[in-house]
Amino acid sequence: MYSDKLEMLFKKSKIEIGDQIKVNNKGKALEGILMPRPELGDNNIVVIKLSNGYNIGIKIEEKSTIEKLAEHTKEEFSFPKIKNIENLKNSNKISLLYTGGTIGSKVDYVTGGVYMLTKPEELLHEVPELKNIANIEVKNLMSIASEDISYLEWQKIADSTADALNAGSTGVVITHGTDTMHYTSAALSFMLKDISGPVVLTGAQRSSDRGSSDAFMNLICSANVAANSNIKQVGICMHATHSDDYCNFIKGTKARKMHTSSRDAFKSINSMVLAKAYQNGKVEVLEKNKDVEKTKKKTIANTKFEPKIALVVSYPDSDPGILQYYNKKGFKGVIIEGTGLGHTPVSTTHKEYNWLSSIKDATSSGMVIGITSQCINGRVNGNVYRNGRLMQEMGAIYCEDMLPEVAYVKLGFLLGNHNKKDTEKLLPVNIAGEITEKTDMNSDE
Amino acid sequence: MAKNFDYEKLGFKCGLEIHQRLSTKHKLFCECLANFFNDKQVQKIERRQRAVAGELGKIDKATSFESKKNRFFNYQVFERSSCLVDIDEEPPHIPNIEAIRNSLSICTSFNCEVPDEVQVMRKGVVDGSDPSAFQRTMLVGYDGKIIVENKNIPVTTIFLEEESSGIVKNTEEYVEYSLDRLGIPLIEIDTDPVIKTPQEAKRVSMEIGLLLRLTNTAQRGIGSIRQDVNISIKNGSRVEIKGFQELDSMDQIIDSEIERQLSLTDIISELEERNAKVGHAVNITDIFNNTKATLIANQIKQNGVVIAAKLIGFKGIIGKELTNDLRLGTELSDYAKSSGVKGIIHSDENMDKYGITKKELDDISKKLELGKNDAFIIIAEKKDKAEYGMELALERARVAMVEVPSETRGADSKKLNTRFLRPMPGKSRMYPETDILPIEMNQILKEFKPEKTNVESIKKTLKDEIKNQQLAEQMLWSKDLQLYRKIINSVDVSPTVVSSILLEKTKELRRSGVEIEKLNEETYLEIFKEYANGSIVKTAIGEIMSLVPKNPDDVHKIINDKSLHRIKGKELEKIIKSFDTQDKAKLLKDVMSKYRMNIEGEELNSLINKKGS
Repeated sequence: MYSDKLEMLFKKSKIEIGDQIKVNNKGKALEGILMPRPELGDNNIVVIKLSNGYNIGIKIEEKSTIEKLAEHTKEEFSFPKIKNIENLKNSNKISLLYTGGTIGSKVDYVTGGVYMLTKPEELLHEVPELKNIANIEVKNLMSIASEDISYLEWQKIADSTADALNAGSTGVVITHGTDTMHYTSAALSFMLKDISGPVVLTGAQRSSDRGSSDAFMNLICSANVAANSNIKQVGICMHATHSDDYCNFIKGTKARKMHTSSRDAFKSINSMVLAKAYQNGKVEVLEKNKDVEKTKKKTIANTKFEPKIALVVSYPDSDPGILQYYNKKGFKGVIIEGTGLGHTPVSTTHKEYNWLSSIKDATSSGMVIGITSQCINGRVNGNVYRNGRLMQEMGAIYCEDMLPEVAYVKLGFLLGNHNKKDTEKLLPVNIAGEITEKTDMNSDE
Repeated sequence: MAKNFDYEKLGFKCGLEIHQRLSTKHKLFCECLANFFNDKQVQKIERRQRAVAGELGKIDKATSFESKKNRFFNYQVFERSSCLVDIDEEPPHIPNIEAIRNSLSICTSFNCEVPDEVQVMRKGVVDGSDPSAFQRTMLVGYDGKIIVENKNIPVTTIFLEEESSGIVKNTEEYVEYSLDRLGIPLIEIDTDPVIKTPQEAKRVSMEIGLLLRLTNTAQRGIGSIRQDVNISIKNGSRVEIKGFQELDSMDQIIDSEIERQLSLTDIISELEERNAKVGHAVNITDIFNNTKATLIANQIKQNGVVIAAKLIGFKGIIGKELTNDLRLGTELSDYAKSSGVKGIIHSDENMDKYGITKKELDDISKKLELGKNDAFIIIAEKKDKAEYGMELALERARVAMVEVPSETRGADSKKLNTRFLRPMPGKSRMYPETDILPIEMNQILKEFKPEKTNVESIKKTLKDEIKNQQLAEQMLWSKDLQLYRKIINSVDVSPTVVSSILLEKTKELRRSGVEIEKLNEETYLEIFKEYANGSIVKTAIGEIMSLVPKNPDDVHKIINDKSLHRIKGKELEKIIKSFDTQDKAKLLKDVMSKYRMNIEGEELNSLINKKGS
């Protein structure tokens, strides 16, 4: 937004954003298209796009004048309207559920950041290869950044996925923001039962308005997995390396975003990847995943979820009062991301940082307390050290090799469907691939 | 090889884009070293890029052209001179303040206005030279000027941008780049198209280069400065010529481009007269099923096809030389090559060199129904590639009947001509870099006062310092001016001596095979210090310089080992006495020839004269 002073000046000369204007300032004249003012910076600086394409800002002084030269010429580009990309060669039909995120984002001239697309056709228009993979039915579920996604959206995505599969789609591709994609993949893993085809979440670390975006390959590989892999699981399919060579399809309950910005951010933790997917259509399915059921069942979405749950981190001098806080607010359970094998401060010099009594108070008042590790890699074990044994005695449940985020989602799912006792029983037991009996040596390859 | 054109009559117009790397410690948008070209390669990554709609939704012509080539790109990643920002795996860091300050000094020196706020832009590039598929660039100055031979050359704009990556390998399937160069701050200086002759273009390029060098912000060495030339003539088109290796041949290459455009203009009317038409692609593989033409046979063996097209009325025109070793056939071929094909064969060529027989030629003629004035072109390749290559070549042929196309071309300093690179890029390649906040230049200027470099005053100082005016002028243009200034400022020594050593002695030594480039700044300073404090004579300076590259010991050791100490006063008198002659001229000659490296001639002369009086 420009300053009131400038807005008045524009109004007086009937100038609108996008108009061709001339700014006379300090004896110099500059012509260009009036651009929106970024939120930050001096709002008395007028931003214009010069004829060479560059944007510059000119500070408007008392003596400066602005005149309008021409109206905004509408030079908008409209993408061809594509509802479904039909290709008669393909007998397979897959669904593309669009939820937003970087994979469907464009430059926003108002905030200077990126905004979400509302038309998934634009994305398909930019990746015409998709039409050679399968007939694609596009559904626009929502258009939100993944950090804004809640369990309500998980429920909606789960229902839509089940609908798509039950309506005959071989597989489903879900485009999603990357920040919380692994929460959603976990949620879908728990909520969907008897999945009849691959459910593939994908996204991008670089927006698809740039030629180097990872979105293109991610979409192509995801569509290949959805159409051709027959892996009846929920997973995340994104770049495996810094190169545009292949994607990893990672189990939905074992995937984690491990890098803030790199395209190979998603890693398979404590587990092998399900498959490698290449741009040319090849999908290398890991031996043990090849043996999938031939019969096609009806996919069921059980989306019951208890949102009064929390994920907390313990660390040196962390205040266990956080548990009392959640307890007082009526929360039903908390996953603690402990240190090492799953520890919280117990025998501290300062008594107030001892978590034991807080854990005991929480469990005895009806909360479920699950223990995971901030090491991310590896399995928790409450038997190795005395502190762990004490925590178990207070009712804390050790969550094996489950990722903290996955344990958090699982806790909500269990509490939505079961009482405390059953939840505590099921939390450390595998129900959707979130816990493995044996920890694989090499998790990434 | 001057072509003696009447440039005014031709409506010749020319503007320059000078690109100069800045000498900063770090790159423009990350903390990688900006001048480290011997780094250790740690990884190689592979990428693909594609054309996407820009800010206004249009896919730029040049962008989609490159992207259709469908090649992938390899990037060499280095230990200290590349990072995740370079490979588009991390958002850019805040802009390098050293580079911004340097750019402000340059703007001031070119009398430019500086915008109050600068928005970093993304300029789309899909030739792979930037892993992000765009180059970050910002307009830092506008409305400036430089005066060259009393003429005002307006400097329209100055940009601060990222250097592209260096090309290492260019194959049919992929292009390999090295990322050590990517992201080094680069200044682009654009002039108005007011330049009237190719010679003037060369002169202005030199003067801009000089002023940049004199600001002491420029990186030195091969490739650190590059010139692009925009030219147009009345009946021709606007063409951007890139990649001038040296300034020497710039005027000749521009002349050749003018000649090319004039020849193409002639061709337009000739083709019109002949009622020329461009045919369509026809598969003629069967004609070559048992061919002896190896080039074609090899393609067919690898499941390739042979396609041909008739060019009605083009006979003799495709093979006619447009300018220095360049034909319309070359242009068709260069367009076709953008699809990945190796080239075309056209009927104005000698078919014997391909091994194509008379029978095959007759078959082609029959199949294409060639008339007396008709020509044909052939492409042998994989089907998709061949078809696309043919499409491009035919498009170029169609354009040849109408106009001189607007293109980006590359300068060839050996053949002294220009070659097609890609269509001229449009404007839709620009959009804002959303990961970087606008830079408030007026805030930076509150804390930093850029220094204005004035060539005239530097020239005057040099002429005052250096007695020999020719040397003074040479020193101004020399790449060693900074070194000269450093020596003068830190050692009490005659500027004339320093300039003659740096300009003349170095040249002489280089000619005699001394690797003079191995001498660093410290060595020069040390030698001149010895000279200034009277330990050595002027003649010994050159001797030491010639010894340093092969004896990496310190200067003192060389002086001791080679007995290069100055002999003077009493000691010198003693030596004079030891020469048993009364003939002053002979004495001077004898002593000098024996002690050339140790004696200052003037002193000897005065001692001999004193002796006689």
